This record gives sequence, C-alpha cells and structure tokens, in this order.
Amino acid sequence: MKPMEPPTFQPRLKVLNRDQALAIHTAALEILEKTGFRMEHPGALEMLADAGGKVSNGDWVKLPAHLVDEALKSAPKQIDLYDQKGNKTMPLVNGNTFYGTGSDAIFTLDLETGQRRRTVLKDTANFARLVDGLENMSFAMSMSNPEDVPVEDIYVYVFAEMVRNINKPIVFIADSGRDIVKIYEIACLVAGSEEALQEKPFILNYSEAISPLRFPENVMEKLIFCAEKRIPICLPSGSNAGGGAPVTLAGAMALGIAENLVGLVVHQLAGKGAPFLFGSNVSVLDMKSTVISYGCPEWSLSQAALADMRDEIYGLPIWAFAGASDAKVMDAQAGAEAMFSIITAMLSRANLIHDVGFLEYGSTSSLEMVTMANELVAMSQFFTGGIPVNEETLALEVIERVVSGGPGSMFLMDDHTFEHFMQAQFLPKLLDRSRYDSWEEAGAMDLYKRCNTEAKRILSEHQVAPKPDRVLKEIDLILRSR
Amino acid sequence: MSDYKALIEAVIKGDIKTAVAETQSVLDAGSNARDILDKGLIAGMDEVGERFSKGQMFVPQMLRSAKTMKECMKLLEPFFQEGDITSKGKVLIGTVKGDLHDIGKNLVSMMMEGAGFTITDLGVDVSPESFVQKAKEVEPDIVAMSALLSTTMPSMPRTIEALQRAGIRDKVKVMIGGAPVTEKYAQEIKADSYASDAGSAVSKAKNLLGVS
Repeated sequence: MKPMEPPTFQPRLKVLNRDQALAIHTAALEILEKTGFRMEHPGALEMLADAGGKVSNGDWVKLPAHLVDEALKSAPKQIDLYDQKGNKTMPLVNGNTFYGTGSDAIFTLDLETGQRRRTVLKDTANFARLVDGLENMSFAMSMSNPEDVPVEDIYVYVFAEMVRNINKPIVFIADSGRDIVKIYEIACLVAGSEEALQEKPFILNYSEAISPLRFPENVMEKLIFCAEKRIPICLPSGSNAGGGAPVTLAGAMALGIAENLVGLVVHQLAGKGAPFLFGSNVSVLDMKSTVISYGCPEWSLSQAALADMRDEIYGLPIWAFAGASDAKVMDAQAGAEAMFSIITAMLSRANLIHDVGFLEYGSTSSLEMVTMANELVAMSQFFTGGIPVNEETLALEVIERVVSGGPGSMFLMDDHTFEHFMQAQFLPKLLDRSRYDSWEEAGAMDLYKRCNTEAKRILSEHQVAPKPDRVLKEIDLILRSR
Repeated sequence: MSDYKALIEAVIKGDIKTAVAETQSVLDAGSNARDILDKGLIAGMDEVGERFSKGQMFVPQMLRSAKTMKECMKLLEPFFQEGDITSKGKVLIGTVKGDLHDIGKNLVSMMMEGAGFTITDLGVDVSPESFVQKAKEVEPDIVAMSALLSTTMPSMPRTIEALQRAGIRDKVKVMIGGAPVTEKYAQEIKADSYASDAGSAVSKAKNLLGVS
C-alpha cells in the first residue's frame, strides 16, 4: 500500500484574530447606528426609511444593525465573472485571487520615449491588449483618463475601447446613472442580450462613496442600477487613514467597512441577491506630501485584515489593490512596493485585486510595470503553492540512485529532474539570472528595459480575437448618440 | 524688548498651552501686540514653513502649529484695530460644481490661512453662479477652484466664463488644482495658476499677488 500523502499546506497570511475582527465589525455597526450617514439619493433614502432606518435632518440616516445582517445574508457568497466569450474565468470565491489593472490614470509612461505624458484613448487600447496577452492578468480597467475624448462620455469611450481590445473581464467606471446605461448597452451587445449578460457577466462596476459617510446621488444611481440589472458592483470609499478617516488603521477600517455596509444594504434592498463585491480602500494619506499612498505597507495590512474579517464574519468575496507604487519611474522602489502588495494580497487571499501597473500614487500608468507585475504574480503563485510532500517529491529512490551510481552520476542527469523541474522550480522570464557576460552581451538591460521590450513584443504580436463587425458598428452608433 | 524664544519654540512644537501662557506673560510684561505677532508668532510659523519644506516636519505638526498661532491671536486681537492686521490677500475657494470632495480643498484653505491669507470657503459643489455672487461680495484677490473628478473639471472653465460675463475676471487671479488637473489644463482654460498640492498653492498664490 502506498503511504498517505499529507495535503499540501498553502501559505496564508493572517493579521487579525477573531476578537479583533469582531471588534472592528461592531465598531462599524455602531457608526451606522449612532453616528449615521448622509444619503443624498431620494430613492435610496426612502428604501432605507421603509426598511427601518431612522431619518433626520432631511438626508441623515441611522441604520439598525439587523438591516446589515439581512443584507449580508442575502448577498451571494460567490461572484462569477466570465470572459467576453462566455468562459467562467474569475470565480470570486474562497481563496481565489485575480489580478488586473486600475483606472483613470492622468498620465502614462510613454512606451517609446519613456516620458510621462497625458493619457489618450490609444493608451486604454494598449493596456487592454497587453492585459489580454499576459497570462497572470485576469481583467482590465482603463489605466487612462484620456484627454482626447468628450469628457461627459469619457467612461463610455474607455469602456468601448476596452471591449475592442480585450476579451477578458472588464472592471469599469461610470460617472452616474446616465453614462452607465450606455456602457450597459455596449455590454449587452457584446454578451448577445441582457439575459446573456446577466447569466454570464463579464463586467463589474467600481464606484466610490465619499468618506466620511457621504453617499452622493450620482453614486447611488449607479449602485441601484447595478442591483436592478444584476451587474456585479463594488462600492468602497476613500476611508484612507488620516484623510477621509481616522489616522489609526482600526478606526479607518471601521469607517470604511461601515460605508461599505451602507452600500450593501441599499444594494440588497434594491436587488435582493444581486452580486456585491465587498471592500474598503484603506491606504494612508502621506503626512509629508498629502498624497494617498499606493506603495505603503498600511494598505496591504488593512486589506489582509479585511480578508480575515471576510473569513470570520462577512463571507463575501473582497476587492483589493496590489502591484502599484508611489515611485515616479519604474525603479527599485517600484519593484519593491509592487512585490510587497502583490504577495501579501495573494497570501491573504484577496479576491479581485486591481491597480496593477500604477506609478506615482496612481496618477501614472506604465505598460512596463504591468508586464513586470505579471511575473511577480507568477512568483507569488509559486510561493503560495507551498511544498507538496509525497513519495515522488521526497525522492528517496532518486537520492539512493544518484548516490550509489557510478562516477558522473548526478541529479541533473537523472530522469526525475527532467520529469519534475518545470513544476518543482519557478522559471523566470523577465527576472534575470543570466551570467554576467551573457547579460552584458544581450545589451546589459535592467528590468525596466526588459519589460519595455516585452511589452512592445506583446503589443505587436498578440492577437485579440475581434468582436463581430455588427457589434463594433453598433458600439460606434452608441458612442455617437448624445 | 522681550525675548520671544519660548513663544517661538511653543508655536513650533504646537504646544498650545505653553504658547498661550507665554503670549499672556509677554503681554503682561508690557510687550506690544504687534511685536509679539511679528517677532513671536509669525517668526515661529516662518520656521515651521521652513522645516516643513525641508521635510523635517509633517502635515499634522504644521497644522497644529497654525492652530497654536490662532489660539494666541485671540489674546492679541483686542489690541488691534480692524485693518491693522494686514492680510496677504483674500482668497475665495471651493470645490467646483458636481464634485463633493473636500479634503484637498480644505487642506489648501488651512495652509493658505496659516500663511496669512484671508479665506472665504464656499464648500463643495459650488456653481459658477455662486462663485460669481460671492466674488462680487467679498472682492477676493484670488478665486481658487478644486476638482477631484475629471468629469467635473469642465466646471472650472465654466466658472471662469461666468466670472468673465460678470465683468470681474480681470479683477481676480484664478488658481486651480486637484488630482486630474494639470499645468497644461490650466493654460487651456486660461486660469492664472495651477498648484499640484497645498504647499505649492501657498507659494503660487504669493507669486500671483507679488507678496512674500
């Protein structure tokens, strides 16, 4: 009989114990019950009042905890995102992690000149195509806030541009209930019909409330629209420590979670059972520059804590960030910060992880940075896979064979090595391990240059299966309609 | 001539209690209020500004110093006639129509106030009409606009046009800022200045008005 193989432990990060998780959750409920929040959408206000929320001073609401419990119960524990061909590629559940880009960068590092310049629509296309061609990037966001499209329809334009250039799922931004309708129309065209889109959604909306505790009308319009149409949505806020929220992480998390729970309650009242991705963005406001940091350890720590709270309390898939940096160029700082957030997000099993490829605290996007992150995700996946321990991997027979073999017998020559090395080792593509002389001969390129070359290669070689002409034409019509 | 070393030190440290007590004690000792303000409080704040720009101080420390100065000023105010305390300039500030974000705008307000400007803060979601109306009322030297969302940026040129139509565009300097705003955008919409953060908003405002 073969010996039993112990299950492989997959390394996992835990940063809160159950008591801490419950204390933050209780604080969030207390914020909603005792402090309350400002709900500026009349329809949402009415829903909350009808459900038992106490309204005062026009739009100030205090929310009893049982409404939160009910919403947590009715929201689905799993959200499945599909690619644009109808394959389920992102089951957001349990420990599944998926990485993708971010939205709305004002600047990008030009692939040819390396210069930081204002983003244009073509950048959205390039980022989408790059993501389509990178095996560890699962979804796209716009990565640009292009200056060459009409600003009132900016999110419709970038969405259409992504649809033209990627077949993976898309996480999209909208301004209000007005443009989200157009984006939805485009998504229905791609999916084939409203029903097809609902059955196999390839889109997820990202919207934001305003910390502290303010829910603007245009944001709620989007939330209610998504609830009614069953489009997955995520509604964090800017509860950054020292900015929109208290400087201490526990308080910032309690506030961010409270705000997210308001979104969840309204969402479930508007569409019971509709998919809601849980999440609060808790980074820090930098105390020298006042930027919101994208490279700080606090954001990674707070989302690891949120993952613990998901496991202990909420049970809903969560939103997160990684692979970004405050550095202005793709330098050592960018690499260090990107790796820090990528591996901790994976080790804490955050589910949908965005903002990969940002520099300059989210103001600049970089194709090279996304390309590098793709490899860092692979590295993290290898680490998180753990160490399978079984007869085959313990390889006692191999040790015996090599040691007792004659002169010249070595592990490198053994069939066991040939059969296992591709799984047993992480084989980097961009991280350089070449000997000095060959590195020099190949042009003495640093990682930034190698990523630049690789991004250019993918953009010139990778083919994105095009959408049918009919769909593309109808998208053009929608863009032209005002 | 009194020695303001302890007062200056307390302002730099943001030690409100000590600073207020020191202000009272130099007043009691017969120092004149103008002297205390110039050689004590402002001297302390100048050092704070200097240290902050060198990266030796953090924002909350600077804000605490500003708060300390404000508390001390309460003791000095009775000794000044209206108009005695000269302002660096009047600033009308707000987050533009359609935008409800105010952290950046508030920070700019506080820093400018700390630097000696007189601030009128219109809050968030401020329509071009409201900017114009208030501008007519307070006759500011600077109209400062903030936007966090690119979709609300068009409210900036609209506000500038409204100032134009009201015939007061020439009487004010227009400053803009916020995450999606760039120098280039400021030029396109014919704003007079762009500031990338609260600290530079202060120096840009000083440049615009030719004060130091």
